Amino acid sequence: MDFSLLLSSYATVWSNPEVLLMTFIGALGGVLLGAIPGMTATMGVALLIPFSFGMDLIPSIGLLLGIYCGGMYGGSISAILIHAPGTPAAAATLLDGYPMCKKGQAGKALSVAMFASFCGGVIGALIMTFLSPLVADMAMNFGPGEMFMLAVFGLSVIVAISGKSVAKGLISAFFGMLLCTVGLDPTNGIPRFITTKQTGLLDGFQFIPTLIGLFAVSEVIAGVERIIRGEEHEQKSNEKITNVLPDWKTIKRIWPNILSGGLIGTFIGAIPGAGGDIAVFVSYGASKSASKHPELYGTGIPNGVAATESANNGCSGGAMIPLLSLGVPGDSVTAILLGAFIMKGITPGPMMYVTELPTVYRVFAALMLANLCMLVVGCLGVRFFAKIVSIEKKMLYPIILVISLLGAFSINKNAFDVGVCVAFGIIGWLMNKYEFPLSPILLALILGPMCEKNFVRYMNIQRGNFFAITTSPIAMVFATVAILVIVYSVYNQSKINKRAAANAAQEKA
Amino acid sequence: MNKDKMKTMAFSNLVGSIIFLAIGIWAWLQTDNFPEVANTYVQASTFPRVMIVGMLIFSVVLLIQSIFKLMGTMKPTDPVAVEVGTLNPLKDKGVAAAYLVMLLCVLFAALFKSCGYILCAVVLSMIIMFLIGKRNWVQMVLVSVLVPLLMWLVFYKVLTVNIPLGPLNFLRTLVDMI
Repeated sequence: MDFSLLLSSYATVWSNPEVLLMTFIGALGGVLLGAIPGMTATMGVALLIPFSFGMDLIPSIGLLLGIYCGGMYGGSISAILIHAPGTPAAAATLLDGYPMCKKGQAGKALSVAMFASFCGGVIGALIMTFLSPLVADMAMNFGPGEMFMLAVFGLSVIVAISGKSVAKGLISAFFGMLLCTVGLDPTNGIPRFITTKQTGLLDGFQFIPTLIGLFAVSEVIAGVERIIRGEEHEQKSNEKITNVLPDWKTIKRIWPNILSGGLIGTFIGAIPGAGGDIAVFVSYGASKSASKHPELYGTGIPNGVAATESANNGCSGGAMIPLLSLGVPGDSVTAILLGAFIMKGITPGPMMYVTELPTVYRVFAALMLANLCMLVVGCLGVRFFAKIVSIEKKMLYPIILVISLLGAFSINKNAFDVGVCVAFGIIGWLMNKYEFPLSPILLALILGPMCEKNFVRYMNIQRGNFFAITTSPIAMVFATVAILVIVYSVYNQSKINKRAAANAAQEKA
Repeated sequence: MNKDKMKTMAFSNLVGSIIFLAIGIWAWLQTDNFPEVANTYVQASTFPRVMIVGMLIFSVVLLIQSIFKLMGTMKPTDPVAVEVGTLNPLKDKGVAAAYLVMLLCVLFAALFKSCGYILCAVVLSMIIMFLIGKRNWVQMVLVSVLVPLLMWLVFYKVLTVNIPLGPLNFLRTLVDMI
């Protein structure tokens, strides 16, 4: 590792006013969106990505990383104050956060959540800085066959954990991969599923309008549906916030939980497909098992909040490891980040560590800065964010919709993309309604071209003999793990279904 | 088939699998029309066909699973026995509202170029707010006018993205003058 380049990259990023401003705005936007129940970090990034179009790479990555880190912390605010996690990654925070709030310790819970989020994020960013170059170095030996299998592996893991039915997840993934093939064939320029007159689709479905449609427009349509049915209730919090940062005594009490949570979060986040929602429960469980007083967990202790919040922010650094070193996103937010890199003409992966090393180091610095901005935003605005959880959805949904549709237009300044966004909004609403997961489509849109490009290269090198891939041990490892993951997921899903059925039967009895 | 079973997730899975099967078959037929290129090991149709086969296989798996569930006696605690929402707007006001929002979005996309972003966005947000029960007219007008205006300003001045304004094109001149 080139430490002098790393330090100079930190200096460049941290002294650039545009990067500082954009990262701060991102962190602010992320915390605001994350604090609103139902608004995920994915949606936040999808909504705000159009604002990064006119910028250079590092300010735009700073903006997106700010949203990512801010969104992870923001979710804890509503979990603590109104017992409704703002994001899935904050689901475990309410176990101890809300009881603390009921005991009149809302300020303490929020300050612990913020401090733990910051520390978890820093742990994740540090591990990413030192681990991802090693992974990239290993991946330098990958040829097209290995890269093809890597993409298949990435997709399999994500599909396997993305819903109640593995079959539905796989259908979504293959459907997404099929959508990637719409447009001109990348090798021979032959139009696929379109005529040459349909110029709007020659390059296929644009990533950003599709993403905004699937994750923002569909959510607005579903939200309107819920409001009309009376399923969406406005939630209010009148808690007075007194603490901004936890006191020294509390920090001494929670630091082991922060450390273990940060480490668990980073390593779980580094597995493609396993995100903050899994890490928080693993970290909470580990923290509880290691405690001398496990019976206190769930009654409102800061250790529980620290364990979960450090884990979900540790994930942000972890998820960046496969993104930067292998070009495979760790979760849906990093999939969008991958799209942002590609938009700026940079393809993450092992070669990036050779050709774009200063950029890689600036991304490391930007992630660290994003965590610091999150802490500053949190300290300055914690009293205000407590009010945000009560925002009226009747005003929020139309605002999200008009910003989303404008974002879809702005990528190519093409009104056709607005239509694409609306179409995917409708498809997303329908698929969500019938529990076909959307994340595999998003990841397929990112991994699909990588998959096809390497598949074509490999087939041409091997003169059409696909089964020559069995001679590559690395490709076979990826293929075996992909198969094992899918088989395990099918088994695990049937176990979960049985347990859910047993629980439901018990409740009925 | 029992009428109640038609309201379950198992039945919607059956319908979903048939839809994806139909998409797969249609897509496969389309790939027959892709021209072939000489001296290459991978044709334009190869990769899409692999994906179609994958989609068809898992659609058939879902179809068979659903048929077995629907033919047998599903326990009420079975995850696929849960009742799912209808798509009939006459039976569910929420769905009717969702369709209306979709229609408004389609109109927005169709009129975006000719009527411009601000005008379309103001009308869209006003109608949606009214639809979901907002009746504070001052807030409604303020939000639905200020948000699109502010967004346009940010994109025009900060991000230098030119957004269609339709009849409100004079705003551009006005802002440039200021």
